[in-house]
Amino acid sequence: MRLYLLWIGTLFAMANAPAAAAPDWTGFYMLAGARDLAGLKVVTPNLNKTVVDHLQPWAKLKMETSNGDADDTGAVCMAAGILRAPGSPFSSAFSVLPSRDKVIMPYWEINTSRVRRIYLNRQHPKNLTPTWNGDSIGRWEDDTLVVDTIGFNDKSWLTGNMAPHTEETHLIERMRQVEANGNTFIEVVGTVEDRKALTSAYTYTRYYKKQKIEMDVHACAEAVIWYKQWRNDALKKEYDRAREVK
Amino acid sequence: MQRFRPQARRALCCFSLTALLFTFAVWPQDAAAQRAGSAPAPPDISGVYESIANGRVLPGGLKNSGSPGEIALLPSALEQMKAVNPKDDPWRMCQPIGQFRMMAREHTIIELDPATGRMGMLFEDVAHGLIRFIYLNRGHSGRPTVGADPNLTFSPFSWLGDSVGRWEGDTLVVDTIAFNTETWLNDAGARHSEALHQIERIRPILGGKFLEYKMTAEDPQALAKPYTYTRYFEKLDAEIGDDICLDEE
Repeated sequence: MRLYLLWIGTLFAMANAPAAAAPDWTGFYMLAGARDLAGLKVVTPNLNKTVVDHLQPWAKLKMETSNGDADDTGAVCMAAGILRAPGSPFSSAFSVLPSRDKVIMPYWEINTSRVRRIYLNRQHPKNLTPTWNGDSIGRWEDDTLVVDTIGFNDKSWLTGNMAPHTEETHLIERMRQVEANGNTFIEVVGTVEDRKALTSAYTYTRYYKKQKIEMDVHACAEAVIWYKQWRNDALKKEYDRAREVK
Repeated sequence: MQRFRPQARRALCCFSLTALLFTFAVWPQDAAAQRAGSAPAPPDISGVYESIANGRVLPGGLKNSGSPGEIALLPSALEQMKAVNPKDDPWRMCQPIGQFRMMAREHTIIELDPATGRMGMLFEDVAHGLIRFIYLNRGHSGRPTVGADPNLTFSPFSWLGDSVGRWEGDTLVVDTIAFNTETWLNDAGARHSEALHQIERIRPILGGKFLEYKMTAEDPQALAKPYTYTRYFEKLDAEIGDDICLDEE
């Protein structure tokens, strides 16, 4: 009898026990510099070269004929997507705001990389409207957040040298927090697939160091006059190119 | 009824006792805190909200009141406003417009995300709203200094200032200073100084279906007197969208 009472109590307690808490990654992270990376292995440090080696011929041709700032929304403070972020230290600074049902990652370059939301409580919607940052869902595998992202539009670039991709792009990331050299990092192992633009998938590893300061709220082109100049230059290039084509 | 072997009974007893001990060790701390008489937990205001249209009346006669267009400027600020070219409006160039204008607009969509020591306020219209971090665990003087990382050179003044918050009952009180002077206070081009000081009071009402939002701005170098407006935000059962600003140049 005592044993059965113990069982009932156990079942009640297990039903009411809180779920194991996910790791709290709250903070501000920036792409780690070489001096912080001792003992950590960065795969694909030169993302530009790796991506070019994986491009299908049409994609390589498009990259070679793209026209600098005129084709680069990121250069005029507009959305540029997250796919190229691992290749740039400035696009790779972000905050993490974990909550019950999602992990939010606002980027320091918020005008261009914007905000990522990784939903933990749902699957990808069936009829996705393509967006700059796609649709991210995640699940915890022990201390690792496994993130699956699809639904990218085809307006952004895989790299800063304008390697294109299609709406078929699929990004899989495994993120975990690691301690090394007296610092805390988020390790991201990313794999990018795109059967219409890439000959095969490519993988990279990046380490983002937790900062002792808070993330500054930064707006692209802090001074309006610079923004105007920047944008006018880009539009002029686009105009000149259109005239050349005619 | 089948009886258990002694070894199996001992194993089951051990398992059950371990499970019970673990469960009570990690039992939610709220109950203990409540028994100890500590302050109740602040309300959960996380979620996506949209400011209601002016003229809509909520139960109890609640409705938006006041407008940034009604602020009283000092003579010098009034002269400065008259000289402003409307084409330089940060809104037209997809630049941040500051929370004083942003929160007053109809159909502004925000997402509130509580995290450790802070509240994130994210805007669907990222270009105009940017993102706000409201720090709940420090005052303005406790802001981590740039010297913590010699590679970074952040200005003490920023588009949205330095926001710190505290809970007063069910109300989140947010105090913000250290603004840069790039933003306008209203659509007419009223400028402000770096002395701008904003106080926001945010609380859930009507069973958490709405937020009441009160914004007060004071600036002894631009405003003749402090000004307060009130807005109501409706909670949406939706995820925040991806709003891309296309400038009007």
